[in-house]
Amino acid sequence: MVVVSSALSSPLVAAEGATMLLGDESDGSRAQPLHVISLYAEDDKGEKGSQIDPNDPLALPFSTRFTCGECHSYGTISGGWHFNAVDGNVPAGRPGEPWLYFNSKLGIQLPLSYRRWPGVYRPEEFRLSPSEFTKIFGRHMPGGGPGEVTPTETEALAEQYVSGKLEVNCLACHNAHPAQDQGGAAGYAIQVSKTNFRWAAAASCEFADVTGSVTDADPTYDPFMPDESETKAPRTIYDKKAFDAAGNVFMDIVREAPEERCYFCHSDLFCGEKGEKTEKWLADEDIHMTAGLTCVDCHRNGLGHNIIRGYDGEAVDYGNPLAATTSCRGCHLGDEKGNRMTGGRLGAPVPEHKGIPTVHFERLACTACHSGPWPGDRPVLAKTSRAHRLGTINVNKEVRVLPHVYAPVFIKEAVADANGTAQIAPHKLVWPAFWGTLDANDCVKPIGLPVVTKMVGAVLKDVAVAETGDWSELKEEQVAQALKALADAGQAQPVYVTGGTLFRLKEDGSLTSDKDHPAAAAYAWPVAHNVRPAAQSLGVGSGNRGCTVCHSTKSPFFFGKVAVDSPVVSVSNLTKTQYQFQRAPHARTWVFAMSFIFRPWFKVIAIGASAVIGIVLLLYGLRALGAVAKVLSERE
Amino acid sequence: MFQTVAILAFLLTFIGIAVHWFLTSAAGARCPLVGGVHVFSLLLIEQRASLLGALKKLCYLVAAVCFLVLAITGFWPTLVRGEHISGFLMYIHATFAPIFALCLAILALTWAGSNRFVAADCPWLQRLLRRVTHLRIPADNRPWRCSLVVYKLAFWAILFLSLPLILSIVVSMFHLLGTDWQHLTLALHRWTSLVFAIAVIVHTYLAIRLRMTSAI
Repeated sequence: MVVVSSALSSPLVAAEGATMLLGDESDGSRAQPLHVISLYAEDDKGEKGSQIDPNDPLALPFSTRFTCGECHSYGTISGGWHFNAVDGNVPAGRPGEPWLYFNSKLGIQLPLSYRRWPGVYRPEEFRLSPSEFTKIFGRHMPGGGPGEVTPTETEALAEQYVSGKLEVNCLACHNAHPAQDQGGAAGYAIQVSKTNFRWAAAASCEFADVTGSVTDADPTYDPFMPDESETKAPRTIYDKKAFDAAGNVFMDIVREAPEERCYFCHSDLFCGEKGEKTEKWLADEDIHMTAGLTCVDCHRNGLGHNIIRGYDGEAVDYGNPLAATTSCRGCHLGDEKGNRMTGGRLGAPVPEHKGIPTVHFERLACTACHSGPWPGDRPVLAKTSRAHRLGTINVNKEVRVLPHVYAPVFIKEAVADANGTAQIAPHKLVWPAFWGTLDANDCVKPIGLPVVTKMVGAVLKDVAVAETGDWSELKEEQVAQALKALADAGQAQPVYVTGGTLFRLKEDGSLTSDKDHPAAAAYAWPVAHNVRPAAQSLGVGSGNRGCTVCHSTKSPFFFGKVAVDSPVVSVSNLTKTQYQFQRAPHARTWVFAMSFIFRPWFKVIAIGASAVIGIVLLLYGLRALGAVAKVLSERE
Repeated sequence: MFQTVAILAFLLTFIGIAVHWFLTSAAGARCPLVGGVHVFSLLLIEQRASLLGALKKLCYLVAAVCFLVLAITGFWPTLVRGEHISGFLMYIHATFAPIFALCLAILALTWAGSNRFVAADCPWLQRLLRRVTHLRIPADNRPWRCSLVVYKLAFWAILFLSLPLILSIVVSMFHLLGTDWQHLTLALHRWTSLVFAIAVIVHTYLAIRLRMTSAI
């Protein structure tokens, strides 16, 4: 099918629930529609502007809203999971990876999210406006969400007039062209960091370059009335060869996003157990990818782009029955109601789990045995695309660069599944560190970044910044000084949260600390990938690879040490044990682990006793049979 | 369903035992306290002072204790709390289980001979067989010792049920059975343990009653 934008097109950007546009519904053909389309910019009123002329030296960047929106309902799509974080009506669902704001010198490592996951903080609590948030984190966002929030303040509105909104970048997922540039020197991420929101999508595509930046432009710069003399302002340069005679351009758009697109935002790198660097070639890809699946084979969505996240219980959270058949259980075992007819989709093998007592499937999520790095004595430092800017330029590749994310940490999830059982699953974990205020309910709210930068920054101005990107070491005296500065600045009950500990000032001005304060608890989110092959699952095999992988007194699963991460020296030496995150008592856990030493003896005794009893039964049974035979034979 | 059936089964068993106790005569006092002391002495003091006899009695006592522990740890969470056995109860259950299995094996070897069915156990059966088959089966008109027959039946039922009871758990510890079969073996263990427990209760009661009447 060839899609050519023309006057015969359906109305642009149909209102939600109204007419379906050309591309909203598939006709059933599995062939990829060919996109030879006109490009449109946004005008100064926020409406559809004129068609892009590649020969215009002052051409505006094309707008995905008005270009892709010609045939695909942009309003419907922008309500999808990747774009709807700011919508308070969307169920938050299972906790996911937050955005991690960090500043090593100020001792900050703060999980932020617009989603109402327990343990994360909202950007506005940290005094980050949607625009500021987008500028910091938009590098690994596909647009929309906070990037499209219209501010209420006049000054912010004026800024947005210049920078534009960070629209949903359809190309970030659907452009199959190998030159789609998300993280390159002039690509999407760089444009976002320069506040070139309006230009970001265009800069990412293969036929447009963007120079200049909003932040460097003259304060009087108007993108809709640009001046050729403005050399520092953003400028879009189109590749004229990409346009045909009618001014249309071919875009290699695919329905199913290639995995490379997903990998830009969803890559992981796990460092070595001894803190050494690792490289991609040392770790295997997810087994599903190796088997030939792509991300979108499981993580599907319809027009609404409510992409399936793939966890048990998602069907209930979002009212999406398809999600029930696309979780681990759904694909491999049938849906969560036990309907085996739907199991085995996409060639998913149906596991037998020979020798695994059924209690494991009640207590453990599938990922506990099958996902993430093989548990070592200690969880390792993990890097993620969104936390560590992977795939962009000038990334600090040191192992201990902030933020510090540890994995795998086996945690009993706070939310029970549909059967009311909270399961243990591997998580990535981060220890929040931030300056806040303690309220009457013993809850901590972060102090806004501007205040912290000013007050705490003044106190810690002489703290050395580590070249490795690691924490700058803080002493308790420095923490006390900073808290005093915050108190003097009018902050009521200032506290410093770090590594599970809450520091505050007593009435006499001395520092006191509450270890394991609930407000300082670590934030963790479940790990689902990379899924290891069946042969590399926990508990498979015999000997050291069998039950004792988990059920032994030296098992990392229960007794691994989880580092407590903090810039404060007195806190950073602490550790926690994995079973503490599983809400399991030490004594019971240790006794059970130790009992597995006797398991072989148990088997021998039980089988031996059964053999003796069986022989006795057989012997006397035969004697009884003999007696009967004797009686019967006397007839003759 | 298991919870309901098990509670009903145990209730019926204990009611049956109580009815039997009061309806049937037995040598010795009916006063529970005196009777209890009598039973206690029968159980702990070997009537025949031989090493083997003492060992047999010791084995029986250990098995009885193990059974008590296993029954409490196994049935309490299921019948009272309506949940699966877990935690320390399971550890205790798993600790006493092999000991119990061992005791059962020893009891099987040492008691099987005395629990053989003989013609005198069931004269009415002999008479019936003789009438039906016309075979030359010796028969007599002695009264039927029902309790003894049930006692022996209970013994053999215990032995017979001990095999699925033990093996249903042991087999699940090897890499043999998948999840569906694991569910099955667990259900087998659960239901077998119920019937086994009832058989043990009946056997123990009859052992005491027969001891009191010096029938064994």
